[in-house]
Amino acid sequence: MESLLQHLDRFSELLAVSRTAHVRTWDPVTVRRALQWARYLRHIHRRFGRHGPIRTALERRLHNQWRQEGGFGRGPVPGLANFQALGHGDVLLSLRLLENQALGDAARHHLVQQLFPGPGVPDADEETLQESLARLARCGSAVHMLRFNGYRKNLNLQEDSLMKTQAELLLERLQEVGKAEAEGPSRFLSRLWERLPQNNFLKVIAVALLQPPLSPRPQEESEPSIHKTPGEGSQALVHWLLGNSEVFAAFCRALPAGLLTLVTSRHPALSPVYLGLLTDWGQRLHYDLQKGIWVGTESQDVPWEELHNRFQSLCQAPPPLKDKVLTALETCKAQDGDFEVPGLSIWTDLLLALRSGAFRKRQVLGLSPGLSSV
Amino acid sequence: MAQDSVDLSCDYQFWMQKLSVWDQASTLETQQDTCVHLARFQEFLRKMYEALKEMDSNTIFERFPTIDQLLAKACWNPFILAYDESQKILIWCLCCLINKEPQNSRQSKLNSWVQGVLSHILSALRFDKEVALFTQGLGYAPIDYYPGLLKNMVLSLASELRENHLNGFNTQRRMTPERLASLSRVCVPLITLPDVDPLVEALLVCHGHEPQEILQPEFFEAVNEAILLKKISLPMSAVVCLWLRHLPSLEKAMLHLFEKLISSERNCLRRIECFIKDSSLPQAACHPAIFRVVDEMFRCALLETDGAPEIIATIQVFTHCFLEALEKENKQLRFALKTYFPYTSPSLAMVLLQDPQDVPRGRWLQTLKHISELLREAVEDQTHGSRGGPLESWFLFIRFGGWAEMVAEQLLRSAAEPPAALLWLLAFYYSPRDGRQQRAQTMVQVKAVLGHLLAMSRSSSLSARDLQTAAGQDTDTDPRAPAEQLIRHLLLHFVLWAPGGHTIARDVVTLLAHTAEITHEIIGFLDQTLYRWDRLGIESPRSGKLARELLKELRTQV
Repeated sequence: MESLLQHLDRFSELLAVSRTAHVRTWDPVTVRRALQWARYLRHIHRRFGRHGPIRTALERRLHNQWRQEGGFGRGPVPGLANFQALGHGDVLLSLRLLENQALGDAARHHLVQQLFPGPGVPDADEETLQESLARLARCGSAVHMLRFNGYRKNLNLQEDSLMKTQAELLLERLQEVGKAEAEGPSRFLSRLWERLPQNNFLKVIAVALLQPPLSPRPQEESEPSIHKTPGEGSQALVHWLLGNSEVFAAFCRALPAGLLTLVTSRHPALSPVYLGLLTDWGQRLHYDLQKGIWVGTESQDVPWEELHNRFQSLCQAPPPLKDKVLTALETCKAQDGDFEVPGLSIWTDLLLALRSGAFRKRQVLGLSPGLSSV
Repeated sequence: MAQDSVDLSCDYQFWMQKLSVWDQASTLETQQDTCVHLARFQEFLRKMYEALKEMDSNTIFERFPTIDQLLAKACWNPFILAYDESQKILIWCLCCLINKEPQNSRQSKLNSWVQGVLSHILSALRFDKEVALFTQGLGYAPIDYYPGLLKNMVLSLASELRENHLNGFNTQRRMTPERLASLSRVCVPLITLPDVDPLVEALLVCHGHEPQEILQPEFFEAVNEAILLKKISLPMSAVVCLWLRHLPSLEKAMLHLFEKLISSERNCLRRIECFIKDSSLPQAACHPAIFRVVDEMFRCALLETDGAPEIIATIQVFTHCFLEALEKENKQLRFALKTYFPYTSPSLAMVLLQDPQDVPRGRWLQTLKHISELLREAVEDQTHGSRGGPLESWFLFIRFGGWAEMVAEQLLRSAAEPPAALLWLLAFYYSPRDGRQQRAQTMVQVKAVLGHLLAMSRSSSLSARDLQTAAGQDTDTDPRAPAEQLIRHLLLHFVLWAPGGHTIARDVVTLLAHTAEITHEIIGFLDQTLYRWDRLGIESPRSGKLARELLKELRTQV
């Protein structure tokens, strides 16, 4: 067991080094040995993927490594990212070496020979490295072709395949980080927030919050039930959003109304904060008598249309949320003086607009107006 | 070898030109042209690799100065990279260009260049910068997430297709014909990649709402090829859609079956049944349109071979498999019989479609008589106006081997006067084109033979010679004339069934089988008889054993 863990350590180091100029010192023998280790660990992954104790031990070792490197999210992972990566450590290593300009000619030549020996007897037992690499190339071409010849961005972000994939990856990573350390996910997310393009990140978070609970992957079937808790990653996200008000503000600002409504319906913990934010935004607007509309004082203030949009979307949500929203609006209206006349309180005007919008909608749909709960 | 290398140079020029025109295959024309040539280009690459691996880098460039351009152009065409093993062979070719010990800067640069191209092939072409940054930030490499991304894209497209199919009136979400056509083109190189199966299935099954076919024929051809070579596994509904939408594919599937049947061992119905079931055609034929095409092709084969017994046997096996498949179909979705046999009288169709197994044995004779009456009515009724006349009725009848092959046996086993109806049926079966007079003559002949056989069956000692004389077989007549075949089969039935038959069996067979052709015919007869007995469970142990032994012996002779 100990030797296995040491192997893991050494291979992780190897993988980290394979990206650096240090490979200049590698000779063909080193290359061959590195690939052998990778292949060995791949065997291990296949054999013990379902085996609880061994897998747990290996994962714990990896988590230790991360902690020593200062935690996740500091940058591209130098070594092995997770247990899954063991299953294709050889591909990872091969690609890094192949792309590394510093590798010497002799070593590179040997590498290429090892990777692409040519046509031969296929291994009945498992896929050869050559096959894995060919399949990756084929897969990449497939994605490329579908992307440019068939893919169309889905307006419902949560159904868009690119978004979904990123969301799945985020949730997976969050779950792993959560296993490694209790406070891991929050710190991890904060670091990502600093480093990644924020607009995309926010969208991915929203989509992640709307994913169905992760079903356990086939190789995880034998795991203890603690790992199967659905929504672990989602919980971490919600926790982090609630703990970072400026992130949440950006979240609510950047994303479309419909999406936010779905997210808040699904995660009730977010609704009070969301409503609070909307209330703040509303209070910043004042009534312009000349133009007859509500305007903001500064350019970054949320305009009336957007506010109205969001409330309208929220009022179309299923009961618990919808009622909360209406209650909140009524409360605000009451606090403002409970006016019925437009132009005095933004809450009055919003409720009026929502009611008439709802009325018109019911007319169009042929529904009886009397049953309006607005 | 010299000829090979000349061929290679010619091919090289051809492909160099093609690749230049195709560029990155971003237009409809270049995509279509690339798709059509994918298999041949891969063959060319294989040949190139075989040539290149024998040479070192310098020699390669002397022989093919523009090899780097050729390979690069191929690598930048995603259709080529996506196809089958082309990406692997390209990599092998590139590896041949590497200098193990670069002597000068040019060679070093070449090495770097090769490395760059290899990276390009393997680094999984990046497209969305944001996505790439995000995944990198999470610590994932393309190998980690590309399979998942492909799966999500495929499922998303498949569900979009299904929605488009079911919800055609919502024009906002409609898939434009151009996009559908484009998707089908893109799938051509990817057909054998299992991750793409859901998309292929959706493309086949969801045909949208346009009146004419939108998907590219190359797509259908590629799917069909993969199905026939077992390189893809699709649900039956998708295969049926393919064959309904693209007739050439169905025809090709039938031809593929015929080829297999021809090249396999002659006269082995078990194997034929395997091939037929394997081809999925009986199941597909539950759809009447497919049934008609299959039927037509069988008909042509029959006409072209002038009613060869092997074809007849194949048709019988196919019909049996088809009826089995039809039985399994959802009763509510089943088509009426009339759609499969539009030119047949319903009563005749119903009688024939009965499985002998479902009819009590005692009523078999009665059923055959009924069949005979109905058929005779159809054949002799000139004013009926049915298509094709007697041949049409015959083609219908021969399909149902359970009944057709039973007539002779029933005649032998009835000790009483052979019923005229059955005599007629037997004569009709072996010789559909006879005129009334000719047929009447045959019937008389058969009746006489039956009489002799009946008498001989009661005698204690039998001799092969006697049998032959009784059957009138010793005279010099055309052995392939239908009446001769008929009599031959009667004799064989007799030998298998009569109590004393086994003693003279071999002698009889020796006397009858004086040409290779007849020997094959007898083998076919024995094989068919055993197959039928097995299916209907009517074998008597003695007869079965005898038939099997004879079959084995004869098979070693040819």
